[in-house]
Amino acid sequence: MNWKKLLKIVGFVSLALIITIIPLLSAGCTTGSNVKVGFSICYTGVAAEKGRPMGNGKLDCMRYINDELGGAAGYEIEVVWRDNQYDAAKATTIINELMGAGCMLFTTNSSAMMMASAETANRNAFPGFAVFSAPALTNPPQHIYAQMPDYGDDWAAFAQYYLDNIWEGEGSPKMALHLLNNTTGYGARDAALLLADEMGIEIVATEEHTATTISEMESLTRIKALEPDVLYISSTPQPTSIIVQNAVDLEMYPGMTIGCGHASFTSVLVELAGDDADGVYGVYPTVDWGDDVPAMAKMTEYCQLYHPEDYGNMDYITSWAESLIVAEILRLAIENVGVDNLTPQAVEEYGFKALDNFDVGGLHGPVTYTEGDNRLSKSVRVFQVQDGEIVPITGWVEAPLIPYEFD
Amino acid sequence: MAELLQFVLTGVTVGMVYALIALGFVLVWKSSGVANLALGQLVLISSWFSYGMLVQAGLPLWLGFILVIIFALILGWVIERFILRPLIAQPILSLITVTLGMAFFIEGAVSFIWPKSVAALPRLFPQDPIRIGTAVVSQEYLWAAAISLLLFGLLSVYFKYHKMGIAMRATADDQMAVQACGIPVTKIFSRSWMLACVLAAVGGVLMSSIGGITFGLVHTGLKAFSVVILGGLDSFLGAIIAGPIIGLAETVGGGYLTPLTWPGVREVIPFIIIIIVMFLKPYGLFGERRIERI
Amino acid sequence: MDLPAGTRNYTYAQDMAIFRTKTHWAMLIALLVILFTAPLYWGNYWLGVANLIGITIIAATGLNILTGYCGQLSIGHAGFIAVGAYTSAVLTNRLDLPFLVGLICAGLTAGLIGMIFGIPSLRVKGFYLAISTIAAQFIIIWVISHWSGVTGGYTGISVPPASIGGITFISQSSQFYLIMVITAVVIFLAKNLARTRAGRAFVAIRDNDLAAEVMGINLFRYKLLAFFIGCFLAGIAGSLLAHWVGFMSVEHFSIADSILYIGMIIIGGLGTTVGPIFGVIFIRLLQQGITFIAPLLEGTFDLPAGFTTGIGPMVFGLAIILFLILEPRGLAHRWQLFKASYRLWPFSY
Repeated sequence: MNWKKLLKIVGFVSLALIITIIPLLSAGCTTGSNVKVGFSICYTGVAAEKGRPMGNGKLDCMRYINDELGGAAGYEIEVVWRDNQYDAAKATTIINELMGAGCMLFTTNSSAMMMASAETANRNAFPGFAVFSAPALTNPPQHIYAQMPDYGDDWAAFAQYYLDNIWEGEGSPKMALHLLNNTTGYGARDAALLLADEMGIEIVATEEHTATTISEMESLTRIKALEPDVLYISSTPQPTSIIVQNAVDLEMYPGMTIGCGHASFTSVLVELAGDDADGVYGVYPTVDWGDDVPAMAKMTEYCQLYHPEDYGNMDYITSWAESLIVAEILRLAIENVGVDNLTPQAVEEYGFKALDNFDVGGLHGPVTYTEGDNRLSKSVRVFQVQDGEIVPITGWVEAPLIPYEFD
Repeated sequence: MAELLQFVLTGVTVGMVYALIALGFVLVWKSSGVANLALGQLVLISSWFSYGMLVQAGLPLWLGFILVIIFALILGWVIERFILRPLIAQPILSLITVTLGMAFFIEGAVSFIWPKSVAALPRLFPQDPIRIGTAVVSQEYLWAAAISLLLFGLLSVYFKYHKMGIAMRATADDQMAVQACGIPVTKIFSRSWMLACVLAAVGGVLMSSIGGITFGLVHTGLKAFSVVILGGLDSFLGAIIAGPIIGLAETVGGGYLTPLTWPGVREVIPFIIIIIVMFLKPYGLFGERRIERI
Repeated sequence: MDLPAGTRNYTYAQDMAIFRTKTHWAMLIALLVILFTAPLYWGNYWLGVANLIGITIIAATGLNILTGYCGQLSIGHAGFIAVGAYTSAVLTNRLDLPFLVGLICAGLTAGLIGMIFGIPSLRVKGFYLAISTIAAQFIIIWVISHWSGVTGGYTGISVPPASIGGITFISQSSQFYLIMVITAVVIFLAKNLARTRAGRAFVAIRDNDLAAEVMGINLFRYKLLAFFIGCFLAGIAGSLLAHWVGFMSVEHFSIADSILYIGMIIIGGLGTTVGPIFGVIFIRLLQQGITFIAPLLEGTFDLPAGFTTGIGPMVFGLAIILFLILEPRGLAHRWQLFKASYRLWPFSY
């Protein structure tokens, strides 16, 4: 029996095993506990750069809550999590699975994945919680709640800060937008289209780039000819670093102001752009590592213990905070209806909607539900890159409610 | 007018970067008739390896480069020996698809070994841009363009005069005849893949020092296909000339069309060019027309 | 086909029959019964997976007709599926047309666009054609993302659930019936296509198109027909996908998905009707398995950081490479061998 034949036999046997075992694996995975949450995380795949630290943050925090805080109102929280690999089809099958497994709510860490799951969730009144959100998810408000401000809110907050603190001329400042070709970029544009006139900003140019761009000299040349006062980039770190470097090359910066949305304003930007990024502003909805807030100590301890490679990653902070909020939601619901009467609808009514100024250990602004607005936290902080470090320069700034209209 | 100069300059330099990658593709096609759809991924893995050497292991520049070249040689040999040699006489569909499978595998391997998805290489070239008239171009691009031209020159000479180069061209033409002459065909395939991987490594290192290492390198690899189609699959000269043409079309075309149409037109221009070339001159500007006999 | 010993064909109909013996019919009916009673005992999750598999089978069958039967390599299939999905989404969402209209129009639009991008196949083949289909995919996706007035651009577009007459297909089990019926019809049509004049022309073109032309087969007509049929099925699959997910965005249709489809039909077996079925089931179940694996592995072992991210594509790429080297005719060939050896057992030679 030569090696080829052996390989074939082994291959087919393992194939058959895989196909038969998988249905059996998932068939009997239910325990008696009623307090279940479902996490749909893009742990592997193209968005793993963000998905993995966020997944780690959530899971570590759940471990902390169950081990040290005794769970939600004394009941252990059971976590069912799946890896959606940033694929919409998988997100849809996963949410069906989570509903079928008896979860009370589900969370995702990517606005695209939440968009894919939202239809099914909304049709079945299954409440969902999006860490990173997009305007279309919460307008009109249904069963999806956003933990933090979205990219449109970032723009609005930065624009307000710019007008109040940086702009010193007469009349309206001229702003150019440079957008990533997905919801991250266009979220900012949608907000700008609605609010710019009202705020008194003139949008002179809207340029687009891809996540894989290697040079933006061409678009920046066009922007340069229009002489804007401020450039707002809503993107991810790598294209932002390219744009900043090209702007320096073209001698546009320093000179005009550059502001970034929260998706690109991380330490990776500083690493890639080097000295060129000095003086760039950005918004971010959470505090930074090492800031003096109540939750920092425990978070740092668990991070160093279980996932030391994620230390310093801001995304970890966002999902640590998310798990704290999820535990609070469950606690409120259990206290209101009792653990035996928990259903997803009850959790939504008595958990999500009962959130009132819940403090996530200072990691980001307080979390409140207001009628008609499914965004639970609307504040960001403005940061600036100074000498290669990201330094906060404001306290919590609240992003205004933007009158979107989506069908 | 000043804008035009800037556009032209940027277009030509960016195009030369595409041409560099396209050279690797043409090399493999010219010597073994295999379409290497995993080009972008080969660039990617070489860039990550150089990151590993230069940043993670902290080796000095010259030692790091030598190791990267050695890595590329080994990679090329492994690919040819284990993936392509078993498929020597198979129809072209299998060959193309196996490079697709290889592409997936390499992407996975990159995520496996280097979990960070973005990284920066130390700067290889001085950062100050050069001014030509009112236009500005970064020195890094000029160096990349210069290296592309140098490699093009070396490759052309190699293929025209060196014994191994001539043997490679002969193999692409007719494998049986080459074997009848006593030249081992498998050895030639090995050499050509090793050389192609080295080219990809050089291209990768250059591009990563400009813009960092990301999965965007794969996308640039796809744009290099448009260069290859326009220039002709089996012509080095075609690659060098078509590179700047595509770069120019992207930048100048995008530059003037974008205000008129939608932002982002630049992205789609290379692909529209592919379709147009398919309609008008399928074998490209300098490619050899395929003549088939039943 | 191999028939059991003692079965002889006396009429043309018997010779050409797909289901020849009583055993064939019995197994077919058993399969259909099991399939259509599945919603009674399968949970929502597995019905969802089955729906996804059904949709993918339709698209893969289309690609199989184009690439497997006619030999026109197309690495842009995800783009044509996107065309179908968006057509259906736009027609049902923005213009409030009924679902069936959306479905048919999705197929026709995708087929038409497929034909347009298939025109280069008249001048080039092999790798050149593959590159032009990749270009087609990028152009289609670009147009969809920038035509925001109609398609919602990058924000995406929400799709109302499918409804025929008064029945609205919201639950997984109702969609299961809809999708399975369409899948069964499509497979039946594909099987018969291979036996008609057009199907034989496709195979002739694949094997040697110059000889086919010499024999009198109009290459122009048949190549474009192959593109039309292949992309028509992609459009139908796209429309069903849009209504199943409920929300459409361009990010769902990347070049990696196109490569996935090629991988599916190669692993399943090119140029056969059951090939796409095997390939799709294999790949989709593998993918679902991967959604389990990350949590399982994370919980039990302490693995290096990039392990679970990298392992998926590595396994898939390795599967494609190994299948091409060891079993280029795919799982369908193995299935044929299995059937043959079963029939001849215990005389397996």
